[in-house]
Amino acid sequence: MRDIGRALGDPKTYAAETVRQMRNIGVDSLPLAAIVAAFIGAVTAIQTRYQLFGGVQLSVVGLISRQSIILELGPLLTGLVLTGRVGARITAEIGTMRVTEQIDALETLAYDPIGYLVVPRLLAAIIMIPMLTILANAIGVGTAFVTAIFATDVTSTAFSEGLRLAFGPFQIVYSIIKATIFGAAIAFFCSYEGYNTTAGAEGVGRSTAQAVVVTSVAILVLDALTAILLAPYLQA
Amino acid sequence: MKKRDDVLVGIVMAVAIIVAILGSLWLARGGLSKGYALYAKFPWSSGLKQGQPVLLAGVNVGYVDQVELRQDGTVLTTFRVGKNYKVPQGTIATVIPNGIFGDMAIALTPKRPNPLSIPANDTIPVGPSAPGIAELTSKGDSIATSVNSITTALNKELVASGGVADLRKTLASSNALMLSMNRLVAEFSSVAAEQNRQLTMTQVSLRKATSGVDSAKIDSTLKNVRQTSENFAVLSADFKQTSAKLDSVIAKVNSGTGSVGLALNDPGAYNDVRSLIAHMDSIMVDLKKNPRRYINLKIF
Repeated sequence: MRDIGRALGDPKTYAAETVRQMRNIGVDSLPLAAIVAAFIGAVTAIQTRYQLFGGVQLSVVGLISRQSIILELGPLLTGLVLTGRVGARITAEIGTMRVTEQIDALETLAYDPIGYLVVPRLLAAIIMIPMLTILANAIGVGTAFVTAIFATDVTSTAFSEGLRLAFGPFQIVYSIIKATIFGAAIAFFCSYEGYNTTAGAEGVGRSTAQAVVVTSVAILVLDALTAILLAPYLQA
Repeated sequence: MKKRDDVLVGIVMAVAIIVAILGSLWLARGGLSKGYALYAKFPWSSGLKQGQPVLLAGVNVGYVDQVELRQDGTVLTTFRVGKNYKVPQGTIATVIPNGIFGDMAIALTPKRPNPLSIPANDTIPVGPSAPGIAELTSKGDSIATSVNSITTALNKELVASGGVADLRKTLASSNALMLSMNRLVAEFSSVAAEQNRQLTMTQVSLRKATSGVDSAKIDSTLKNVRQTSENFAVLSADFKQTSAKLDSVIAKVNSGTGSVGLALNDPGAYNDVRSLIAHMDSIMVDLKKNPRRYINLKIF
């Protein structure tokens, strides 16, 4: 953490690499995040509709779909999916550089390996994963809307009414805060595992698997902590 | 390649930011337009929050923009109505429950259609608010408590103190009573049937007796009675007429008009008659004494 703080003071080291990592982490992950969000939105709408007991107004489908996707499923599933795609890649890249002594070469050439390898990935993840989460939320709510209208008896008016019921802008902020924390966790834990890889190619595989597991668990724990800390503000 | 990365990253970030802003605006207020502001003062604990919908005659026309708690027991609520909606004058604002999850909304209810509309930044009068979910739940709780106390009391009275056993005994007694009543009704029915049979026989005998009567004779008798009655009526009318005439004569006599009246009622005439009678008496006395004065009989 101290090395990261120190490296952040030299933007020339990581600026160019950060944009490239933003492309890798953000733009290239967009199709996967969109597919996951679309299916989650559709399933949420259908499940919600058929769990309702008689007499409950159908606008509840819109309300529950919005709350589920924006507050929980959008950031959490985007984080978990990107742990597999982005986190594993980060660990593998840095781990391979470690076992092939490229990091040692960087240090020999007076490059700061943290500033050149970890900080760009960390910044890229912190910036792009919230962006992906926003788009995933929009796609999830959109597919929930379309699915509810075409696959169930919920009307567009009822769904829209539920979508807008008791909405506060902090819900969007809450989702972005979660996504930012998850992005930081993915980049940090995966970079750490890669940076500390040992024992050749086998060690890279082991580090990658361990990074995915540790990051996934960390995301779930951070999700719970975020909910405990910030959920009261949602009610206010 | 690097420039392409910059462009792609920029596009994705721009799209994400635009989606976040437009999505929030649409969810919070239904669009980009802010609308015009109106105000209403609701009592405390009305449950209003920023972003809740504003309904005009049931149609969503705006949203709650600001809620300001005041020390005078009211909540000054600023809400925004879309520019394409006009709130008719005479409209009343109330807080109503929105859905089953305790959310609230402002309902604007116009008394009647009115071409004049409330201008922007005006304050709308507040009407009585509908009960919320919490209030209904509290009432439901009190009803449940009452039902519980009633069932407890019934349990005590009917089960613990043997009320159910008494009820069963009463039902058994009622059942026996009903059987007795059924028997009594059966007996009454047989008596009534016998009475009915006797009455039928009497009716037949009466019909036989009436068939023996000559209807022609009865008819002529009835005609005679009717004729006699008519004669009596005529006689009565004549008698009434005669009586009236007699009354008028007696009245005339009593009034002293006419010769009979004067004769009966005039004291002078009475005195004249008495003096005449006295004079006649003296003549008769004189005639007895001196017949020759009055009777000069010469036979030859």
